[in-house]
Amino acid sequence: MTPFAVDGIQPALNEIPVFAVDDLVRVASRSPIGHYRVPTYLRGCLGKVVRVIEPAMIDNEEEGYGRNAGNRRHYYRVAFAMTELWPGYGGPANDALEIEIFETWLERV
Amino acid sequence: MSEHDHPHEPITSDSKPSYYEIMETAVRELLIGKGLITANEIRHQIEVLDSRTPALGARVVAKAWSDPTFRERLLADGRAACEELGITFYDDTQLIVLENTETVHNLIVCTLCSCYPRPVLGLPPDWYKAKPYRARAVSEPRKVLAEFGTIIPDDVEIRVSDSTAVIRYLVLPRRPQGTEGWSEDELAAIVTRDAMIGVIPVTVAERAAS
Amino acid sequence: MTADFVSRLPNDIGGAEAGSIVQVDHVLEPWEKRCHALADVLDFKKIINTEEKRKGVEALGADLIGKLPYYERWIVTFANILFTKGLLTPTELAEKMAEVEARFAAEAG
Repeated sequence: MTPFAVDGIQPALNEIPVFAVDDLVRVASRSPIGHYRVPTYLRGCLGKVVRVIEPAMIDNEEEGYGRNAGNRRHYYRVAFAMTELWPGYGGPANDALEIEIFETWLERV
Repeated sequence: MSEHDHPHEPITSDSKPSYYEIMETAVRELLIGKGLITANEIRHQIEVLDSRTPALGARVVAKAWSDPTFRERLLADGRAACEELGITFYDDTQLIVLENTETVHNLIVCTLCSCYPRPVLGLPPDWYKAKPYRARAVSEPRKVLAEFGTIIPDDVEIRVSDSTAVIRYLVLPRRPQGTEGWSEDELAAIVTRDAMIGVIPVTVAERAAS
Repeated sequence: MTADFVSRLPNDIGGAEAGSIVQVDHVLEPWEKRCHALADVLDFKKIINTEEKRKGVEALGADLIGKLPYYERWIVTFANILFTKGLLTPTELAEKMAEVEARFAAEAG
């Protein structure tokens, strides 16, 4: 909030991030056809939001079809334990992976 | 995907242009002829690409090591801090700078394609775009690092960042011991591209040997 | 599972079996650099945005992605997308390529 903010301003729905830092989220386990930007290795995995990427942006899966404008939502930087992603992970338990995921792929846990 | 690394034919001055080079020239000239792009736009963008090399990233790292308030701004908003130095983000990407510490070692990869912090490092090396690195950096990063000669102790967390969207990453390596009192120029000279990808540390060995 | 044939993109290789890292690199040939500049300019003007390019490369299929080098994949993809958008026709490109090839041959003496 800037010191000049005026009270009573209501942002549009897509301007308000659905998830917040520290929220536990699960990546949808769907396998659609068409263009996607969520690697298969993440599907169904449990992670934690570590950063909300501002501002809201167009889904790059839609951009793949030439849509350069339209509805915007947020990307979230989500952290996963390597042992969550790879059941046979050979390294220490605190090794991790972070990645940006579009809002439509995340489910609240 | 095949396992081989697309070896390039040796180029000689009298070699004929390939089918694909002919296609590139034809597509470009047709688009220019239709007024969709201009020759100057292509020429200018080649100059933009040529002006982006790992030396820019090295300057950013050296400044972060030398100036704690710049380091703070860089970690808070990588793009804005680089823009202070005149580095523009022509591809309209954002930048998250990942700081290596005593307890965390960062590694960057793009499993789906070849996303890379081009505004600050230039174009990626071929191995970064090839299957072995993209496939394995996310699932067995310690083995991948070992192949670069980098052994990370088990009590240091490996944190892999996989690029998929408009965010790009740059690793801020640890400043090596023995560089106290060095100027930014001296520091920048030891910061390598691979250290800013996160596959090797920055060392003073080369300088000491010379 | 035949669903994998259509729901897993050829470039979605995170976690796949792969050999050891060979630290290869090469200096871009002039046409490769021009091809990269062309990609950037097409994206700036949203004639072909970056995500359309990625989707177009995926559309080449795993076999061709494995066999063709990087910028070869890009230029074929640009041509395919420009055909689809009605900005170029296959005949125009074929005739122009013949003209360019003849010109290169004449320049080479």
